[in-house]
Amino acid sequence: MKRLLTLLLALSLGSSLSGEARAITPEAQQKVVTAASKNLIEIGVSYQGDQIHFFGVNPVPGTDLIIKLTAEKDEELKLSVKGKVGPLWMTVKQYDVKGAPFMYKIHASKPIDQIVSAATAQELELGYPAIRHKMQMHLSRGTAAPDDADKVYKGLLKIKERNNLYNIVEDPKRLEIAEGKLFKHYFRFPPAASEGRYLVESFCFDKGHLVGYGKDVIVIKKVGIEHWLTDVSQNQPVFFGILAVVIAVGAGLLVGVIFRKGGHH
Amino acid sequence: MEIYLPIAGMSINFFLVIGIGGLVGFLSGLFGVGGGFLLTPLMMMIGIPPAVAAASDSNQICAAAASGAFAHWRLGNVDFKMGAVILAGGIIGGTIGVQLVKILRALGNFEFVMKVVYVLMLGLVGSAMFVESLRTIRRSRAQAETCTIAVGKPKPGLFSRLPLKMHFHRSGLHTSAIFPFSIGTIVGIMAALLGVGGGFIMVPAMIYIIGMPTIAAIGTDLFQIVLTSANVTLQQAFVNKTVDLLLALTLLAGSTIGAQFGAIAGKRLKGEQIRILLAIIVLTLTVKLFLDLVLTPEDLVSLAPAKGGGH
Repeated sequence: MKRLLTLLLALSLGSSLSGEARAITPEAQQKVVTAASKNLIEIGVSYQGDQIHFFGVNPVPGTDLIIKLTAEKDEELKLSVKGKVGPLWMTVKQYDVKGAPFMYKIHASKPIDQIVSAATAQELELGYPAIRHKMQMHLSRGTAAPDDADKVYKGLLKIKERNNLYNIVEDPKRLEIAEGKLFKHYFRFPPAASEGRYLVESFCFDKGHLVGYGKDVIVIKKVGIEHWLTDVSQNQPVFFGILAVVIAVGAGLLVGVIFRKGGHH
Repeated sequence: MEIYLPIAGMSINFFLVIGIGGLVGFLSGLFGVGGGFLLTPLMMMIGIPPAVAAASDSNQICAAAASGAFAHWRLGNVDFKMGAVILAGGIIGGTIGVQLVKILRALGNFEFVMKVVYVLMLGLVGSAMFVESLRTIRRSRAQAETCTIAVGKPKPGLFSRLPLKMHFHRSGLHTSAIFPFSIGTIVGIMAALLGVGGGFIMVPAMIYIIGMPTIAAIGTDLFQIVLTSANVTLQQAFVNKTVDLLLALTLLAGSTIGAQFGAIAGKRLKGEQIRILLAIIVLTLTVKLFLDLVLTPEDLVSLAPAKGGGH
């Protein structure tokens, strides 16, 4: 919603300032009809990530496709940067980072820079350079160094990629398009993908111009005991703490009774 | 088989967690120590966030100590008065410790401080144990020389001469409450910071410095550990929200089973062999943690907990 508003605002500003400046309105394009194998991922006790298959019809056959998965929320992060103090490595400064999506994955039928211009990519937030442009860093502790921005950006990317929360695949094999029209692919949601709403947007470009757009919403939520434990621990910490202690002492005493040896200390 | 840990926010192999609990349980059954000081670093090695590892470990210790304390209480090995004095320190220490965790996490240096304290503590305990058991082995080899092992006979040291004298009936002592209270506070801080019970510091201190009988020291230590770690668990849950109950219970299941086997194995090994083995394990861990501190880390940039805690 916020993004839509921003786009609308940008559109109105753009059109009022000059005829040439234009903003891209994905929603105004032809609809890319898509279907997801499911729209809800439930995190249960044995959850180990999930994957969702997507199918879609390209409204303008033969055009290029970029599909973007993002978390609806942007994160406000605190990143610690390590430095050497004497012989030891410890955190020497911290940055508050805004504007980085919690999750960010892209499947493109060919390299993004061959599909769209840098300006369009930036406007539609396609590709890592666009993310970097959007990220705002603010030093909260320590002394800044010239290469900090680069270091923090690369460090964040590394953390996210390792957790499989960020990844960009520019390969037609990964995004199959049958006869230029029917496409299918899947996104993997790693265990690190937390509860929330995720957007899967399909962009269809003809010679660099957006001609089609489609959107799916995926919801991840914890269920059963996972939901209950998370909810209680975060929202009723006093109750949760007491519960944790009571259960632990109870379990310990039970163990003592069962084994009759009285634990292992 | 994977298990999703709700507070750690990650999925992990169930048997790996049970296995680590089992291994530590086995070692604690074998060596007669709590094993918290092994459990927290091992959990960090398999990717559990340090703060969650320490807090959940306190939760697990609470359970493990409860069964031991209960048995010792029935045998009359708990000096409740001494326990209460130490506990008063433990509660204060634990509360300070949890606040320290909060501050250090916000500064992004919790893991660093934790590892430094671990290296110092494990290095000290490990080396002392290694030297002592090596000496015992040498001595037992040269059996011809009839040697009397100079067991640190409880001597009324400097600490007992401090004011605030109290009479501790169960231990048969009339000594100052200042030292028990202080050591309780220090161990309480460590309990929160490291996710340990602290028995390996507390028991020797009770025997050699306070002068308690060994069996009363062990019983009383377990009694105070239950309540100190309960306090730490509560505080961690309130302040840092890092207690993963599912993780704690899985570890408990593993350690309970492991401890039974450890106790059996312990009967077949000689005391000094066991101790030198434990010393080697402790020293290996110390070296690993030390290297973490001095080698260039793989990640120079890491996530600090966002406002308030959670994960």
